[in-house]
Amino acid sequence: MKAAQAVAAFATTFDAICSEVEKVMVELRPVIEDVVVALLAEGNVLLEGVPGIGKTYLVKTLGQVLNIRFRRVQFTADLMPSDILGTSLLVQDEHGKRLAFQPGPLFTHLLLADEINRATPKTQAALLEAMEEHSVTIGGVTTRLEEPFFILATENPIEQDGTYPLPKAQLDKFLFKLLVGYPSEKGLVEIVMRTTFERYPEATQAASGQDIIRMRQLVRQVPVASHVEDFALRLVRATQPDSPHATETTRRYVESGSGPRGLLAILHGAKARALSHGNPFVSRDDIRSVALHALRHRIQRNLDAEAEDLTADDILHRVTEELREA
Amino acid sequence: MKPEDFKARFDTLTDAMARAVVGHHDTIVDLLTGVFAGGSILLEAPPGLGKTLIGKTLAAALSMKATRIQFTPDLMPADIVGTNVVVEDERGSKEMVFQRGPVFANVLLADEINRATPKTQSALLEAMQEHHVTVAGTTYPLDEPFLVVATQNPEDLEGTYRLPEAQIDRFLFRLRLAALADPEWIEVVRRRTGAAEQSVRPALSKDDVLAMQAAARQVGISREVCAYGARIVAATHPDGNGAIEPVRKFLRLGASPRGLQAMVLGAKVRALCDGRTDVAASDIRSLAIPALSHRLLLNFEGQAERIRPQTIIEAILNAEQSGICNV
Repeated sequence: MKAAQAVAAFATTFDAICSEVEKVMVELRPVIEDVVVALLAEGNVLLEGVPGIGKTYLVKTLGQVLNIRFRRVQFTADLMPSDILGTSLLVQDEHGKRLAFQPGPLFTHLLLADEINRATPKTQAALLEAMEEHSVTIGGVTTRLEEPFFILATENPIEQDGTYPLPKAQLDKFLFKLLVGYPSEKGLVEIVMRTTFERYPEATQAASGQDIIRMRQLVRQVPVASHVEDFALRLVRATQPDSPHATETTRRYVESGSGPRGLLAILHGAKARALSHGNPFVSRDDIRSVALHALRHRIQRNLDAEAEDLTADDILHRVTEELREA
Repeated sequence: MKPEDFKARFDTLTDAMARAVVGHHDTIVDLLTGVFAGGSILLEAPPGLGKTLIGKTLAAALSMKATRIQFTPDLMPADIVGTNVVVEDERGSKEMVFQRGPVFANVLLADEINRATPKTQSALLEAMQEHHVTVAGTTYPLDEPFLVVATQNPEDLEGTYRLPEAQIDRFLFRLRLAALADPEWIEVVRRRTGAAEQSVRPALSKDDVLAMQAAARQVGISREVCAYGARIVAATHPDGNGAIEPVRKFLRLGASPRGLQAMVLGAKVRALCDGRTDVAASDIRSLAIPALSHRLLLNFEGQAERIRPQTIIEAILNAEQSGICNV
């Protein structure tokens, strides 16, 4: 009975958070939900989308709704690791001279890393290390970051001179990669009607950082039946061209498929997804609803796929179809 | 505030500026439209056309705190936002004190913004977006109103760092200065070499500006007029359904929702200046180029053909007017 109440409370809070953020973000309910699912699955998100669709607002509003701290860092070619992590300064006070650590913008709860592919690899790596470990080490001292800690990194879809695309091993560290397009004309009208009268539509607090930590614990307790686990495993292995589960599309178009982190992302994400619908167990539908987000950045297309202009999403859709038919 | 009062004050400011700046009347009107719409403006022109003069004149015509930063390749973020310094008081104890940088002003002129390195540019743009700055973990709010007038040289000039898309998108308008006509050349020279003093007297106070900005936001707009603006913005998307040929052929990226917000906010000021309290489609239309041209990104073919985004927007507006496409 108590567990059932906890699950119901989870679904209610999840909905309250998403609805509150949605007040400010027009037409983005699916993206908002996926971001919150990733937050609850203890992962980080890579968002691919053009400028000006409200990524900053999304993270800022999420910070307001959860009453936790938020920072944004614009990545540029000359951004250095210390600009993110912080730096040690020599200070003098009544105890004499000493080195004091000045924490960088990373010391927050929600971090928007805007246009991450503009920074040099060393700076990207500094961010991703913190993302993986939830701690930073500077001058031999390791500092833990306060929980909940969550990074939303954005990437411009248009490849340009002077950008450093994230290598596959770095991409793998993101739980989900989400795609956001332009709003429709109707959505544009709605945005303008909401934002050109008052300066910002205000969102109110719907949950706290502590709630998120408790919800994360509940997510970890969701059971997954072995046939559902098996379903997820087959899906992930089907993206590997030399595995026995590989489908025709995989063998033809995929250079390398998802590793174990892909399966981890699917299962952890699906658990949070299940609870968000008020279900205390993971179904195949939950697996399906997160699979694309968990796998699209983990498969590498081969030259044939590039020549035929097939995106990772196209390939994954085909693979899912082929698995269904088999 | 009544539209008449708004217009009267707007005109006072335009006249004050025209006393110091020769020509560029339309640019000045668009600049002030952006100021009262509450946004930051990017002025673009080759050297010598008077970008800085326009900025300085605006600062002088408003009785508010104005600062100017000349951007150079070695300018650092701390030169803009400020920095913590150690000071010693009379008792000999030392402490860290925050020295405010030039960003703490009401009108900030950022000269030749694209000469600075990207990190320095982004320090300014962040202040512009957030209206506060964070130094060593402490957040300092900026005083309202906070207006940035940035100037930049055309991007193909040597020694410039192109503003990233996400950064340039944060400017409400980009205005390109038109070339001067012959009589205007003569007038410039006469004024510059003559004896009469060309001082600009403050025309509006800080409270005037704040009240006018607030009044502009209150101007109404119908869903139909708003939808008209949305159609123009959607027509800039190269993979959209109704995209006309130049859009499909030459653009890689169209305007963002911020482009529509900029058009609508500017149109509200236009409506007031025209004595109305709601926005007409013509107000929107007149701001399409200032609000959208810097948000369009040319593809390789567009760059090779030296297409100007302005031309594409004109084509969209024409197509819309003659009903060729379903804009």
